[in-house]
Amino acid sequence: MFLQTVGFGIVTASILALAAVGFTVQFSVTNILNLAYGDVMTASAFVAYVSATAGLNPWIGMITGGIFGSLFSYLLNRFVYTPFIRRGSKLFVMIIVTISMSLILQNVMQIIWGPNFFTVPIPAGSSVRFLGMIFTTSQIVIIAVAVAAMLGLHSLLTFTKLGKAMRATATDPELARNCGIRTKRITDLAWLLSGLLCGLGGVALVIDLGSFQSTTGGEFLVPIIAAAILGGVGQPYGAMLGALVIGMATEMAALVINPEYKEVVAFGLLIVMLLIRPQGLLAEVASQKEVAA
Amino acid sequence: MTSTVAGAQPALLEVRDLRKSYGGVHAVAGVSFYARRGAITGLIGPNGAGKSTALGMIAGAIRPSSGSILLNGVDIAGQPSYQVARKRVARTFQQSSDFAGMTVLENLLTARFGQRGDSLWGALAGRRFWASAERELIAKATDLLARFDMTKMANELAGTLSGGQRRLLEIMRALMTDPELLLLDEPMAGVNPALGARIEDYLLDLQAGGLSMLMVEHEMAVVERLCDPVIVMAQGEVLAEGTMAQIRADQRVLDAYLVG
Amino acid sequence: MSTAWSFYLSTVMVYLGVNVMACLGLNLQYGFTGILNFSFIVYQAAGAYTAAVLTLGPHTAAMSFQRYIGGWSLPFPIPILAGGAVGGALAAAVGWIALRRLRGDYQAMVFLVVSLIATSVATNDVGLFNGSAGLSVIPKPLSGVVGMSLVGYQWFYVGITAIFCLLVYIVVRRITSSPLSRSLRAVRDHEQAAAALGKNVAALRMVSFVVGGVIAGISGAVLVGFISAWSPGAWLYPETFVFFTALIVGGTARNAGAALGALLVPVIFLESTRFLPQFGPPGLIDALQWVAIGLMALVFLWFWPRGVLPERRRIIALPTLRKESEREGAQA
Repeated sequence: MFLQTVGFGIVTASILALAAVGFTVQFSVTNILNLAYGDVMTASAFVAYVSATAGLNPWIGMITGGIFGSLFSYLLNRFVYTPFIRRGSKLFVMIIVTISMSLILQNVMQIIWGPNFFTVPIPAGSSVRFLGMIFTTSQIVIIAVAVAAMLGLHSLLTFTKLGKAMRATATDPELARNCGIRTKRITDLAWLLSGLLCGLGGVALVIDLGSFQSTTGGEFLVPIIAAAILGGVGQPYGAMLGALVIGMATEMAALVINPEYKEVVAFGLLIVMLLIRPQGLLAEVASQKEVAA
Repeated sequence: MTSTVAGAQPALLEVRDLRKSYGGVHAVAGVSFYARRGAITGLIGPNGAGKSTALGMIAGAIRPSSGSILLNGVDIAGQPSYQVARKRVARTFQQSSDFAGMTVLENLLTARFGQRGDSLWGALAGRRFWASAERELIAKATDLLARFDMTKMANELAGTLSGGQRRLLEIMRALMTDPELLLLDEPMAGVNPALGARIEDYLLDLQAGGLSMLMVEHEMAVVERLCDPVIVMAQGEVLAEGTMAQIRADQRVLDAYLVG
Repeated sequence: MSTAWSFYLSTVMVYLGVNVMACLGLNLQYGFTGILNFSFIVYQAAGAYTAAVLTLGPHTAAMSFQRYIGGWSLPFPIPILAGGAVGGALAAAVGWIALRRLRGDYQAMVFLVVSLIATSVATNDVGLFNGSAGLSVIPKPLSGVVGMSLVGYQWFYVGITAIFCLLVYIVVRRITSSPLSRSLRAVRDHEQAAAALGKNVAALRMVSFVVGGVIAGISGAVLVGFISAWSPGAWLYPETFVFFTALIVGGTARNAGAALGALLVPVIFLESTRFLPQFGPPGLIDALQWVAIGLMALVFLWFWPRGVLPERRRIIALPTLRKESEREGAQA
């Protein structure tokens, strides 16, 4: 039972890693706290659902969902957020703009699909035993996608010029611009990249949950924010670590206490973190950006 | 370096072995200097020398990694900004820091800490409780506005002022707190020459009135006219100290600027 | 006026009063202090639940169909005042975690999470406030004492609401016209500069946050006494956004703007949809309403970011100047 819970924890952590890393990259590079993030996840899941019910291979559906998340995030920034910034909206007004978008997206989905629950049709494959844990095929795929995405992101940030430019932009956009980095292009890429993770995370989430509705992604914002803050917002590696901690802790809580309290446990961890170490587990970049005033 | 000025009285401000590092990078790598009472001490150096970081640490805005900051002999290192300010250390910022949604006069009135109506209970007690204190403050602000030729702007929103007027507002606002030490972070940046000359006159006037200042400034001519002594920083360390004439003769300083 | 209209009008008036209180409270936090409190509705809910369980009788016999803590049958106005106190205490607890050390955007994230979690706890912990079904048949304040007709009591309650609304307005007005208001706006406009002038930024935010929490609590307590029921569905996190939209439309950092916003958005806009013919599947009209609220906020932020009644420039007369300084001023 315990080992199986660890297994669930790994799956939850994988989904959370996709979502939280995307969230933190988006926030740190673009400097916009996009509270519509969870709803873009849901929208991507609906795209995967539509393409899978249209007869496409469901795993191709996951890719379409990811691509949709990527493009949609880019367009959201290009046609909503950037115009507001150009018009001189301050940072905290921008947060209200993003929460307006969250509300609009969520309810447009509700208008289209109603309050019903949907399931992405995944053929039940054979299950795999591994170290005493049993995984279904879809769980294996989720873990594989997450690991591949994390490794890909790691190589991008460490080995490519683009990744370094992205990190520089996140740390100090003005300095990055002075160093000749074309920050606008970097920001666009950050939206595409984080949107991809957001979309993949959304599809992975609803596949794992089994069924979803228009509010599913929005509600998942709690563990996402918890994982991101736990890791120190703006730090992809921190978010990965945060995802692992939150994923494990919530599944353990589901086993020991009550599945309804998963989110509450994530929240509890967030509070403890804020009280003892508001700059996050990995603190360096955070202190430079004056996260904790 | 001597740690106290001749005589028994401790220096107004003394910085000892102050350090700040961000993840392995030393922005300030152990600097020591002091600011004499009644002097305008200049802090110069090439870009990235750590001047503003040092100033920020003295003001309490940046937490030092180590070292001490003695104000009248008492260590204030690591205290938050608002507590340092209450010890009569005022500052201006490199970028304009006005309260844009308030009028010039309100900006000045805000500056005064501990007004009777500036607490929840004071505010709830009503206007009668704080009106007289408010009148005194307005009188003080009015004098200051007149002195800086800003009377006409009193009821304009700070957000609508020109760059130079914002500089003046910031200095006035700092003066409203009756500081003993005024920290100036590039007060001439973005100011036209005519207004710059006026600001210089004001600063000299304030010095004559007994105010001590520590000033980070890029414009060498300004430093030459106002500051004595001058401290040169480069790459997080103090390179030289003395009058501007002594500094000019110092080969190391020249090298630092050429490299920077 | 027919009885039906009288009944309807009095209902709308109570809603207006409750929403005006809430908007004044949120305006103190957001408009004056720049705190993005996305959990505002939680303090309103805390006030409502508190008033409900203090007004309700013991959890036995007649009330055995619902579970809750408390049940002390306390008389008016204690439950409403207690609602305010609990709203304030909860705000103090949340503020203590979020406001002391975090940057503004992180605070916003934490507040949003607080709102989601509070709903989750109230829904799942059935023993607290009867879970997702919520509390019902909450006794109306003084209804046994005044002995009026149904419509008469409605107008009596309008009076109760008006009294609390007036009290809240006086408190807010005293704060926003005092030197304290300048310190709050200084924190809003430039946090570091405020700190450099000796302002304890965290403490100032806390004052505004807790006063806002008390006001939210009172508004919730007044509301629950009127509608006699309260459940998690009444305070989902988007409800806070209705108040934000009201402030954006009416005008932030101005009490009249907050009151106007309360009239325009939660009362006139949301009430008017009540008269639309029902169409489409269940939930469709609600969803359309939410989309409209979101669009309204965006449209105002784009075209009229300062709202219908923008923040005023506060002109303070200078004392008569000495002649010479006047001349100097004229030369400059």
